[in-house]
This record gives sequence, structure tokens and C-alpha cells, in this order.
Amino acid sequence: MPWRLLCVVAVASALGCGGSRPMPTGGVPRVVATTTVVADLVRQVAGDRVEVDCLMAPGIDPHSYKPTPRDADRLASADLVVAGGLHLEGKLAAILERLAARRHVVLVGETLPADRLIEAGGGLFDPHVWFDADLWSHAPPAVAEALGSLDPSHAVEYRDRATDYAERLRALDVRVRERLATIPVDRRVLVTAHDAFRYFGRAYDLEVVGVQGTSTESEAGLADINRLVDLVVSRRLPAVFIETSVADRSVSALREGAAARGHEVRLGGTLYSDSLGTADGADTLVGAIEANLTTIMAGLEGTR
Amino acid sequence: MTWGDLSHNTLVVAVGVAAVGFASGVVGSLCVLRKRALAGDAAAHATLVGVAGAFLVTGRRDLVTLLVGAVVAACAGLGVLVLVRRLTRTRDDAATAIVIGVSFGAGIALISGLPAWGYPGSAGLEQFLLGHTAALTRHDAMLLAMIAVGAIAVVAAILKEATLVAFDESFASATGWPVWVIDAIVVGLVAVMVVVGLPAVGAVLVTALVVIPPVAARLWTDRVGTLVVVSGVIGLVAAVSGVAVSASQSRLATGPLVVLTASMLFAVSLVIGPRRGVVARRLAGLQRSDRRGLVDEPGGHDA
Repeated sequence: MPWRLLCVVAVASALGCGGSRPMPTGGVPRVVATTTVVADLVRQVAGDRVEVDCLMAPGIDPHSYKPTPRDADRLASADLVVAGGLHLEGKLAAILERLAARRHVVLVGETLPADRLIEAGGGLFDPHVWFDADLWSHAPPAVAEALGSLDPSHAVEYRDRATDYAERLRALDVRVRERLATIPVDRRVLVTAHDAFRYFGRAYDLEVVGVQGTSTESEAGLADINRLVDLVVSRRLPAVFIETSVADRSVSALREGAAARGHEVRLGGTLYSDSLGTADGADTLVGAIEANLTTIMAGLEGTR
Repeated sequence: MTWGDLSHNTLVVAVGVAAVGFASGVVGSLCVLRKRALAGDAAAHATLVGVAGAFLVTGRRDLVTLLVGAVVAACAGLGVLVLVRRLTRTRDDAATAIVIGVSFGAGIALISGLPAWGYPGSAGLEQFLLGHTAALTRHDAMLLAMIAVGAIAVVAAILKEATLVAFDESFASATGWPVWVIDAIVVGLVAVMVVVGLPAVGAVLVTALVVIPPVAARLWTDRVGTLVVVSGVIGLVAAVSGVAVSASQSRLATGPLVVLTASMLFAVSLVIGPRRGVVARRLAGLQRSDRRGLVDEPGGHDA
């Protein structure tokens, strides 16, 4: 009998957690963000009004990240969960979906204008939306709204910060466009380890080619490597790039293949893709995009 | 596609995988004759622990470091296999299953745990599960080829003794052959081949490269020397055709294709193999009954 009573209490308290709940008793709201990119977005909008807990450390690949039981606890105890969405967090998707029934979950990618998303086949969209700074500037309002309903007394402040941040993103967008426009047209090709830069390429008029597919889970076959070597050699590309969160063995094979055909292609450097960095500046999205811009300019601008 | 068109990468991958295929076939024939086919699987599954362990200890991700770790782990796995068999009264199949399960579980746990311990670059280690042939560099291929040549040389050196041990263990030990030394060399070679096959076809499939070619070759010949060579050739043909198919189209992973080609060669051998193939046996059976029908020949069936 006490056992059955316990069950009832457990179920009741579980139900009690559901629905949109106002502020937790005392303290600041706790927001759990999945990736560093999303965590940065929340921090930009929330300032230090909330506690942001980021599931994945810098350098972690969100496509293959497997949640631990502790992660599930962190998600379940959050006041608000913010994720990239669009299947960015491939192995978290099921948990997030279940969580959305009981918790406020914002899937940032899915709040953006749908007509500006890039289809990735199979009814799915490419989740790497943050590299189009103008597109990402549509993200802050959704986060501000979620924060505002969680913490109504500061709703106005969140909205103002969101507007402010969106403006900074649009300014960044202009800056990136202007700088990249100086690269000669025939050299505007960005070869990277995986296909994370399609939004970036579309926004700033760069052809983008990934050695692996959109997700790091797929594997480059021999034909893919051969095709890339052809491209790099025929376009005389000066540099290819690696990413912080993806293994670089395919890129080494690619460079070697080009060298065998008499075209030395440099390693242009490391780009931030699915994760922000820890270095000063690169720990925010704006900083990471600036850092990428510098790396890309140095790689593709050089006369070769 | 003619030879002149072959890209550097196709050539590198073909050479690397062909060396692995040939040597696996050669080493595998000893292993299968000695009825140790599953030892290779135990070694293969143990390699993941070694790959992850080598990365954890050294922090490096280059092929040599990881493969050294894999060799150590494969040998350790086989050592545990022998110990379990000797010390407990567990039978061979159960002991093998235990080693496979425990070591593979430990390997996966280590690799998936790396991010939790703050290693960001662990994504690449998962490639050892299914191989990542297309990313082989010239240096990698040379390394694989050199190990393959070494393994083949060892097989050539111990072939006579190993054959004796495989076919008549008690006679071999009675005449003073150190059976356990030969066994240790054979199993050690299998461990090395499994590790060499890792970058090509990955831990899960690599045993197939050690086991399928000799079993297919057995259908073509009764002589050990011929068996070893035919097995090597089958491994080589499977490797090269797997690479060719993989190079023909986008997004075809090389490792599984190599194993599939090997299985096709086995299926063909099963049908038309002159020694024990289905057709050959049927023909032999017909001849026998023909003869029996015509003359009443006492003891007229061959062994």
C-alpha cells in the first residue's frame, strides 16, 4: 500500500513539472543549451540574468554526440532548453522531442524563416544555419520570447538585448561580405572536412565543398576523394581547410593526391564549424566567424 | 578507366588494400587449417581498446601510434583467450565469445567516453570500427605493405612446421616440435594481420579478410602450399575489385565492398571449385554411381 502511494506521488510530481511553469523559486533561471553556438546565442540575449549550462564542450562534434544519463538529468531539470534543431544534435533528437512535451524547448533552427533553409535531402534541412549571420539574426527574438515567458519581469530587457544582438549580426554580415568580395572569383572555393559551410557559401558567394557529407557520420569513399582532388587541381586552389571538431585524415589524403599531380595545396588552417573555440574572442559566434574570415582570407587570398 | 587514369589516391589505396588482402589470405590459411578462425575475430574486436588506449596515453592520432596500441591489445586479447581456456574449463567457442564481447564493449566504452574526459578530437577513432580506406596516404600504404611482406616471409619460414602441427598435433609434439611456439607465431601473425586490416576494413569486418579467402581456396586445392598461394590471390583480387567498385561511384565505403567481393569469390568457388565445389562433387558422385552400375567393383569409392 505505501508502495502504491509512492507511485501516485511520483506520477503527480512528474505531472506537476509539466506545462509552462513560471520562475523557479528564488535564484536565476537555468537554461540548458546543447552546443556552444546555441549557448552563445542564449548568453547574448540573456546577459547574466540566467545561468547557461552548455551540454557539449568546445570542440565536440554535435552530430555524433551521445548523451549520457547525466545529460538527460541536466536537460530534465532545466527551466528552458535551447537546441540547434534541424537534426543538428542527431543523437539527442529523440530526447529533445520527448522533453518538448513537458518542458519549454526552443529549437533555434526551426524558428528561422523556412524559405531560407537549405534542403539536405530526405525532407531534412542543413542545420548549420549560424554561418549566415543575417539568417542567424532572426534567431535572437525567439530566444528572447522564451526567456521572457520564463522570467516576465525582465522580458523587455531580453527583447532589447535581442534586437541589439541581431543588429550586431547584421553588421557582421556586411563586413564578411565586403571582405570576401575581394577574393578573385575563380578562387572562391572553400574545401573543408565536412559540409558545414553551405549557408556561409550561399550568403557570401563562395562555392563550398565538404570531403564528408553534411553530417560527420557519413564516410568519404574513394570516388569522393578523387573528385575533390580533380576540383582542387583544376581550379588551382591555394588552400583547403580543416575543422576543429572533425578528424582530418581525409584532408591529408586529398592534399597528397593533389601534390602527386603537381599542385601543392596548403592547409589553410582550422575553421570553427560545429563548435566555437576556447581562445579569446572565438568563444562567441561573432568572434568565431571573424576568426574563420581571417583564416579563409589568408588561405585563399595568397598568390599562388 | 585505364591504368594511366588512376589517380594517386586510387593507386595508394589499391596498393595498401591489395597488400593487406594478399597477406591476410596467406596468414588466414594457416589460421583456418589450425582451426583458429575465430581467434582472429577476438583479436579484431580487442583492437578497439588498443586504439583508444594508445590515443589516451600518447594524445596522438597518427596511424603508427594507434596501430601499435592495437597490436598490443590484440595480443593481450588472444593471451586472455588462451588463459580463459586453460585456467577455466570454458570451451573454445565460449572463451572466444567472452573475449569478443568484453573487449569490444570496453573499446566502444572508451571511445564514446573520450569527449567526457575532455578530448575533443575523438571523432576520428570511430573510423576504426568500419575502416576509412579512402583516407589512406602514401605513408600509410607503405607501412601496410611492409608489414604484409614481413608476415608473408614468416609464413614461408614456418609453413612446414605449421602444416605438421595443424594436421597431426600429437605426432608433431612426439617428434619434438614445439607446438605452442608454432601456435603462438600463427596466432601472433593473425593479430598483426587483423591490425593491419583495421584502417582498410575496420574492426568489425577484418576477420572476414582472414577467414573467407582460405575457406574459398580450400575448394580449389588439397595441397597446403597451393592453398596458401590461392588464398592470398583470392584476398588480393577481392581487395583490388573492392577498391575499384568503391572508386567508381560516390559514397561507397571501400571496406564493406572488399568483404562483399571476397564473399562472392567464395560463392563462385563453392559452385565451381574443382576439389570440393558443388559441381565437382556432383560429378564425382555421378561417376561413382556410373561405375557401380557397370561393374561391381569392391571398394570402388575413393577416400
